[in-house]
Amino acid sequence: MSYQWRTVFEYLPEFLDAMGLTLWITLQAFLLALVCGLVAALARNSRWVMFRLLAGAYVEVIRNTPVLLQIFVVFFALPSVGVRLDAVTAGVVAIGVNVGAYLCEVFRAGISSVARGQGEAAQVLGLSPRQTFASVIAPQALRNVYPATVNNLIQVLLGTSLLTAIAVPELTGVATVINARTLLFVQVFALTLLLYLILSNALSFAAGLLGRVMFKPALDQARPGLWPLRRTRPSAIPVEVSS
Amino acid sequence: MTATANGATIGSNVQLRAVTKAFGAVEVLKNIDLEVEDGEVVVLIGASGSGKSTLLRIMSGLETADSGQVFVGGIPMHEPKRAPEIRGHVGMVFQQFNLFPHLNAMGNVTLALRKVLKMSTNEAEAVALKALTRVGMQDRCENYPSQLSGGQQQRVAIARALAVNPRIMFFDEATSALDPELVGEVTSVMRSLATEGMTMVVVTHEMGFAQRTADRVVFMDDGVIAEQGTPEQVLQNPQHPRTQQFLARVFEA
Amino acid sequence: MNWQLIWISLPQLLRAFLLTLELAVVSIIGCTVIGLLVGGLRTVRLRIVAGLARAYVEVFRGSPLPITLLFVYFGAALYLGYSSNVFAAAAVGLSVYHGAYVAEIFRSGIQAVPSAQREAAQTLGLSAMQTFRFVVLPQTRRIVFPPLIGQFISLIKDTSIAFVIGLVELMKAGQAIVDRTAEPIPIYLTIAALYFVICYPLSLWVRRNERKIVPA
Repeated sequence: MSYQWRTVFEYLPEFLDAMGLTLWITLQAFLLALVCGLVAALARNSRWVMFRLLAGAYVEVIRNTPVLLQIFVVFFALPSVGVRLDAVTAGVVAIGVNVGAYLCEVFRAGISSVARGQGEAAQVLGLSPRQTFASVIAPQALRNVYPATVNNLIQVLLGTSLLTAIAVPELTGVATVINARTLLFVQVFALTLLLYLILSNALSFAAGLLGRVMFKPALDQARPGLWPLRRTRPSAIPVEVSS
Repeated sequence: MTATANGATIGSNVQLRAVTKAFGAVEVLKNIDLEVEDGEVVVLIGASGSGKSTLLRIMSGLETADSGQVFVGGIPMHEPKRAPEIRGHVGMVFQQFNLFPHLNAMGNVTLALRKVLKMSTNEAEAVALKALTRVGMQDRCENYPSQLSGGQQQRVAIARALAVNPRIMFFDEATSALDPELVGEVTSVMRSLATEGMTMVVVTHEMGFAQRTADRVVFMDDGVIAEQGTPEQVLQNPQHPRTQQFLARVFEA
Repeated sequence: MNWQLIWISLPQLLRAFLLTLELAVVSIIGCTVIGLLVGGLRTVRLRIVAGLARAYVEVFRGSPLPITLLFVYFGAALYLGYSSNVFAAAAVGLSVYHGAYVAEIFRSGIQAVPSAQREAAQTLGLSAMQTFRFVVLPQTRRIVFPPLIGQFISLIKDTSIAFVIGLVELMKAGQAIVDRTAEPIPIYLTIAALYFVICYPLSLWVRRNERKIVPA
């Protein structure tokens, strides 16, 4: 191994710590995103106009402005209205709220993608609307949205790298510091890239395994394969829903 | 009479009086009168768009009539407050099966038994097994819909409808989505139901089924009942010119 | 709160916004070219080529944009000197990164056309090129455009990430004013509004034209 690589590998403990923080932020932010997405999806289908409007505004504003701006708003602007968050918490909040807006749309589409005949069959069988939703619509919606939801988990992971802009010592932030110290940018960023690939593939892989346990019959039997990202990742082109 | 979800019972006859239905500007049903008696098998035929499926959906409570009276098993379906009483007392079999893809055959059949009739899992599975046996699917309980052929799926769908012990069964083009060689296994299940005395209203393009199984054949044309009678009367000796045209086209094909 | 600040700083922000738009346009062209190329290569029969194209897509879709930008920026600095063009580095980084996503969109679009269409065209006597040109591509257009525009919206917003390599685009210009004046709210609102007026109409177009779907 060359001298340069050895120098960079001496920083491996720092890299691993940063990786841990990245993962920790990712999981917290994703949890928040799930909650935001679910609440917003319910609000957008609510009977109350006020809820629908608020949720609609949330989704549109978040989706049409940069996440970096949202991070700055939470970290630099909220203190001027009395909400002071440390950088990690601010990052979790900003990214969670951001991805929540995308998940809201995923969840809505997931529910409306369940074929209408499913609800009709349940209705004739005598299931109440609530039972129909819980036993027939929701389980299928969950299957439908699972790949897209996992995709958003990856987006959360990739989004945490922006927290370097508010000096969170996550993977990208630590990499820039070590790069400044060693000036070995090829080695530093190659290693960082590799660590991100490990993280994103590990998360997809875990989600794929979870999906396999959770869903019977198995998700996407048509596309077996060992590449975990591909298996859980939805196609770039949305699936057309038969109506 | 059968004990049901809320302990109530309903009859097994259908009465339609002056039923109309429009989708936007399109009048799908124009002043329909129809009676189906206890144990009778009525087959609705007609070109697509003639209103027969809509009529079936009104009887099963999936659509409401714009005007007129609809009594199904004695329940006035035209009264919005009372229409939901029908649920769980009639069975419906759809063209696209509409099996629940996330549940296996057993799960599909037991769902309503557990959730609506509040049976225990064991009880529900015993009832479901009987229903699945009735359609010859007792060996495929663990299979998911995606693992079954179209004919098998439709038989499970029939078992699912039968398990709640309905008083009337509605079939909406139950064999139209099937490959020709799979039609027979479904129609034979339907025929055995008919011989067991089930009240059935069947929308179908299978003239053979109508011929052999129907007590009465109803020909619908452009939202009205153009002609009805025994299979011999309507299919062999149609009086109405539209019926003659329709049958000529069907048998030509 | 000093709302006057919006009017005072608006010219400065608009100048930076212009740079943001320039960066976006250049990168949109860049990533479309890369996407078409890589997406096409993925369908090539030669295993190595298709494999490389796929590795490209997987690497960039599994890693964050700042890493790509930093890589390009420091690479350019090393080989071309520190006076090298930050704008060019940002444009290259954005094009290369979003190119991977665009490649997937093109590939999926081509695959979304049923193979029966190809077979039908071939039985009519059309050559492979003609089949692609007259049968597959026209059908792809309708499927590909909404997600493609969606990707462009992401790219426009992602120009703000050029912040990390010090390009004074809208975000960086705004933050400089915030640092100077300690008035974040009016400035951030202005920045948000500027991004919003560009992205929102595009989003509306995407929503109107996308298929009824579970979005990816």
